[in-house]
Amino acid sequence: MEYILKNGIVYDPANNIAGEKKDVMFKDGKIVEQVSSDAKVLDVTDKIVMPAGVDPHAHIAGPKLVVGRIYRPEDSRKGVTSKKGVCRSESGFSIPSCPATGYRYSRMGYGTVTEAAVPPLEAKHTHEEIMAIPNVDVTPLPLFGNNWFVLQWAKEGKIDEIAAFVASWLRIVKGYGIKIVNPCGTEAWGWGGNVHGIDDPVPYFDVTAREVVRALAQANEKLGLPHSIHVHPNDLGHPGNYPTTVNTLDCVKDIAKNGSKRNQTIHLTHAQFHSYAGTSWRDVESGAKEVADYINNNKHVTCDIGQVTLDETTTMTADGPMEFDLHELNGLKWANKDIELETGSGIVPFIYSGKAPVPSFQWGVGLELFLRIKDPWQVCLTTDHPNAGPFIRYPRIISWLMSNERRQEMMDNGEVRVWSYKRTGLGTLDREYDFNEIATITRASAAKIYGYQDRGELTPGYNADIAVYDINPNDIDPSKEPAAIEHAFGNAMYTIKDGQILVKDGEVVKVVPSHTIWTDVKGFEEQEKTVMEEVMPTFRRFYTVKFENYQVQDHFTPNPIVTEVQAGK
Amino acid sequence: MKTITLTLKKKSPIALEFDELIPDKVFDWEKVDFEKYQVPVGNRRFPLTDYFDIEVEGDAAGPEEVKMILDGDFGRVKYIGCKMGAGEIIVNGDADLHCGAEMEGGKITVNGNAESYAGREMKGGELEIMGNTREFCGCSYIGDWRGMSGGKITLHGSAGKQLGECLSGGEIYVKGDCDILAGIHMNKGFIQIDGDVTRWPGGQMKNGNILVKGKLGILLEGFVYDSVVADPVIDGKSFSGKYIKYNGDIAVNGKGNLYLNAEKNREFL
Amino acid sequence: MAYEPPVTDYDEIVENGTCAFCGCNCDDLDFLVKDGHVVGVRHACRLGASKVMEDMDQRLLVPMIRDENGELQEVDWDTALDKAAELIANAVRPIFYGWSETSIETMKHGIRLGELVGAVLDNQATICHGPSLQAVQNVGYPVATLGEIKNRADMIVYTGSNPMNSHPRHLSRYSTFPRGWFRQRGRFDRTLVTMDPKYSDTAKMSDIWIGFEQNGDYGFYNAIRAALRGKEIDQDFVSGIPKEDIMELAEAMKNVQFGALYFGLGLTHTLSKQRNIDMAIEMLADLNKYTKWVLTPMRGHFNVNGFNIFMAYEMGFPYGVDFCRGYPRYMNGETNTIDLLTRKECDVFMVIAADPGAHYPGGAVKHLAEIPVIQVDIHWGPSTEIADVVLPGSFIGVECAGTSYRMDGVPIHMKKAVDKPETCRDDEWIIRELHERVQKIKAEEAAVASK
Repeated sequence: MEYILKNGIVYDPANNIAGEKKDVMFKDGKIVEQVSSDAKVLDVTDKIVMPAGVDPHAHIAGPKLVVGRIYRPEDSRKGVTSKKGVCRSESGFSIPSCPATGYRYSRMGYGTVTEAAVPPLEAKHTHEEIMAIPNVDVTPLPLFGNNWFVLQWAKEGKIDEIAAFVASWLRIVKGYGIKIVNPCGTEAWGWGGNVHGIDDPVPYFDVTAREVVRALAQANEKLGLPHSIHVHPNDLGHPGNYPTTVNTLDCVKDIAKNGSKRNQTIHLTHAQFHSYAGTSWRDVESGAKEVADYINNNKHVTCDIGQVTLDETTTMTADGPMEFDLHELNGLKWANKDIELETGSGIVPFIYSGKAPVPSFQWGVGLELFLRIKDPWQVCLTTDHPNAGPFIRYPRIISWLMSNERRQEMMDNGEVRVWSYKRTGLGTLDREYDFNEIATITRASAAKIYGYQDRGELTPGYNADIAVYDINPNDIDPSKEPAAIEHAFGNAMYTIKDGQILVKDGEVVKVVPSHTIWTDVKGFEEQEKTVMEEVMPTFRRFYTVKFENYQVQDHFTPNPIVTEVQAGK
Repeated sequence: MKTITLTLKKKSPIALEFDELIPDKVFDWEKVDFEKYQVPVGNRRFPLTDYFDIEVEGDAAGPEEVKMILDGDFGRVKYIGCKMGAGEIIVNGDADLHCGAEMEGGKITVNGNAESYAGREMKGGELEIMGNTREFCGCSYIGDWRGMSGGKITLHGSAGKQLGECLSGGEIYVKGDCDILAGIHMNKGFIQIDGDVTRWPGGQMKNGNILVKGKLGILLEGFVYDSVVADPVIDGKSFSGKYIKYNGDIAVNGKGNLYLNAEKNREFL
Repeated sequence: MAYEPPVTDYDEIVENGTCAFCGCNCDDLDFLVKDGHVVGVRHACRLGASKVMEDMDQRLLVPMIRDENGELQEVDWDTALDKAAELIANAVRPIFYGWSETSIETMKHGIRLGELVGAVLDNQATICHGPSLQAVQNVGYPVATLGEIKNRADMIVYTGSNPMNSHPRHLSRYSTFPRGWFRQRGRFDRTLVTMDPKYSDTAKMSDIWIGFEQNGDYGFYNAIRAALRGKEIDQDFVSGIPKEDIMELAEAMKNVQFGALYFGLGLTHTLSKQRNIDMAIEMLADLNKYTKWVLTPMRGHFNVNGFNIFMAYEMGFPYGVDFCRGYPRYMNGETNTIDLLTRKECDVFMVIAADPGAHYPGGAVKHLAEIPVIQVDIHWGPSTEIADVVLPGSFIGVECAGTSYRMDGVPIHMKKAVDKPETCRDDEWIIRELHERVQKIKAEEAAVASK
């Protein structure tokens, strides 16, 4: 089937197209330069056309999510809808059911989402949920930052072993890249403790976050994985944590990049939670300037923000100790899930109310980071869904970024408390994103950061993943019309995935199975074999499942997109 | 004023659901509208007239001018008055699950017993039950820590287990006896029980007041003796006589108050 | 127990098979196969081994329909499936119950069928750990995988649970006896505590037995929490336990390095039901101020947790999900099987891999006897006696592969070891067939209605 999207205003940052009126053509699921006269014409005159959205960091599938859904029926109830048309029933606000997750991303014009924390032992669970999520392709990132094998090798500086282990484990669990969460801290939580800063050694293993992050970064570049290490640093959410963040970013500065498409060697996730100055919640101040300055001066870093959306949500992270602290703080129900030899996690509901000082402050810090980071290719829009708010609020965040007037109004009329500007630099920043910058931070930069070579651009040969939004960019003043911006980006006029129209006028009209994107490293087989011989005796003694039953069998990824990587190339 | 009378003629074994038949939605309905209406029953809808004789008298400009009279055994009619904001519903018989759940205003009177979940998540208005209720009267939705937040439930009979679970405001007044764990997880509001209580009132309560005029079976260790008070005044209501006052539940660092009639509960002193 | 010589006469060994019995879901079984049957099982406990080996005992082999004389008669698959589909399509308040002894793959078709007709989907949690799930929903869920306990725990507490009888390998493979990374001496490095009114087999081998009185659970845990907060206990005995013992126990629990609490139906089914668990979970959160504690419900059937997980990721609620209004609704006491049966609301009941005839309270079974019941199962049981349509399935993890979730949420793909009897069908196939047949009936109804 051939199509022409006719007369749209195209934003395709990867191809330096910033608001040009032109046609976009696709055939058999791919973008093409030419179509025949039989092509079906979709008239999108003066509408915004972009590549489909790419979300670089969200929690949408897997064991944590399901614990959230099981233990928060009051959240599930909030999003309940009846089955309608091609859609099944939906449920959930902050932790939507799998079908709802797919429909809601699709309605916003998204095509690809990263599931940012996969415990390898339960990877099959994550893949089962990915199978249940329609319409968006999912990139799972397995957790390595507290893995006992990694901790031991990092202590001994055995980078080859770590690289071989990562190569094997990505294949075993069908993962895309290396996720690190509170390195050493989550292992310390195995004993109810935590580590503070990147040089605080974890009990027993006696290794520091600095050593672990560096070792995994070196392994990542040795293999030449498409994505860099993806890091949630230590001390999340603690006043005074920004030096830890900057030190974490800086500790890999000397490691040479080995990946063709991306520029970075470290991706800092949900930077907002890691950019606080001060010493306690009484004297907390924004550290956004310091973190943004570091990012502006260092091209080896990219980040996503984790913007607070001012909603009641569900926090969930592999940072187990942080979640217990949060439970101590707000007294709401605490779930925890520790995974043998690998990781942990915690879950706590949280109410980010604009009427309270701390959420207002966090809201300000997130926006401050967006506005201070100069190069949009170094930043992505996220809410660390559902941690700082549900992903369905992306359109609202876009409206805030495009309108200084709206931000000022919120600060003036009390929608957020004074800490939003008194404790941050937000009040002094009047930058407004344009549509091209929005296109960058919601799709192009994420695609580049992940090294995707088939999406995030409207380049011929790429997947026909396209979003059309019902606004004329030359006719609207986003600064004055934030509600219209939010509505348009929340209800795509078209969402096209692999050349198929999935959404029309904000309604899902077609449901297709998702793909699972994972990385298969080639050319490291000998090292992998050696390392597996070292791993297996320990595996057999200390895991409670057999290796045969640990692996993710092929049928858990019925629609894989395998990124083959030649190690070291 | 509009009076809508539904008189039961056939009781369905499968419960009917009445969430669409609240004054807020039907104040401008004529008799013919009710006759056209299909009521949810299981996974189908059937004509309302299959089950009821319907009379409509008078006119209403809004829900506050509506009086619905439900005559007969409504023990298989769920969600009576659910989410209603104004008007009046009188049930001349028993009411099934969720009677008055999430109601925000108006008044419901049940001249019989009410099943579980009566007044669940009530925000305002009045719910008066002449008979007994079963479990979870005036509770929260499962999982939510915010329960009934306003309005008043008056129960002339006895209450089942976990009355006022997660109560976050409003008042529950039980004239009869009460089963275990009244006010469990409550954080605000007032529960008054005139009769006897089996055991453990106020388990895991964070705040709010519970007063028991009758005799208590078993008290939780999480309650710390405060004092014997004479003629306490709670929420502007005064109670004559001596009461033993406890604070708790300290298991959750609770700041709640539990008052026990001193005369009837001497053994706790 | 008589001596049984080891089985030596077999054709092949299938390694790393999974046990389809309790929530331990042990995945280290060796099946000894001869002539297409499992004749021996290595590593399994007696419960698991006998379930696998006696697969042909009272086996349902052919589809059956109850005739007008009340006798089950053999029929062909088409006839049986059409009959079942017709019952389901015409039901006003159908319940599809069970699922805990079948695969996630089967559930995938079950939920589609449930959504299509507006059924209630429910599993054994409704009569087992439902109260645990309710407590989890109220106050939280601090859990860990079984290997965390094996590698770290120095105190193991079983409360209201007797794993020596119900989960025989729980102590030996996961919690108490195995040598762990930080517990190299196994049993000697751990303190085992049983809290149970009964001096159970597990209590007998424990270091400490706390025999609190029946229905005293809530008061007992409340007192431990008060002691943890530093309160001097007022009453001399709480729930039958001397106050000194309570103070001592609270102190001991505070001073371990890593504690694990496992609870069973002894806690979920006494007077204050979910609130016992509620209180125990909060006690555990309190203990985490001092040291590390985790808990896990001792789930019974091998995939009972799987259904809860599956329903939650598909529809946001773990069990008792009611689709009758066209959207998922979850309301304890309203959308659960037992309530719907004792209230006599259900009009067609389908049971998949479960035995309500054996497990339900009398009132519920009585109603089942009065309505059409469709049974999908592998064995003849009390439920067969009240079934009107019988659809013989296959044995997950032995005759058919499928995914399950262990009690701690670890997913396991249970592989196939032998072929199923020729006349049986896989559960997945049966439910998919039913879905397709009901879809056809509904489409025809819609076509007639539109004319």
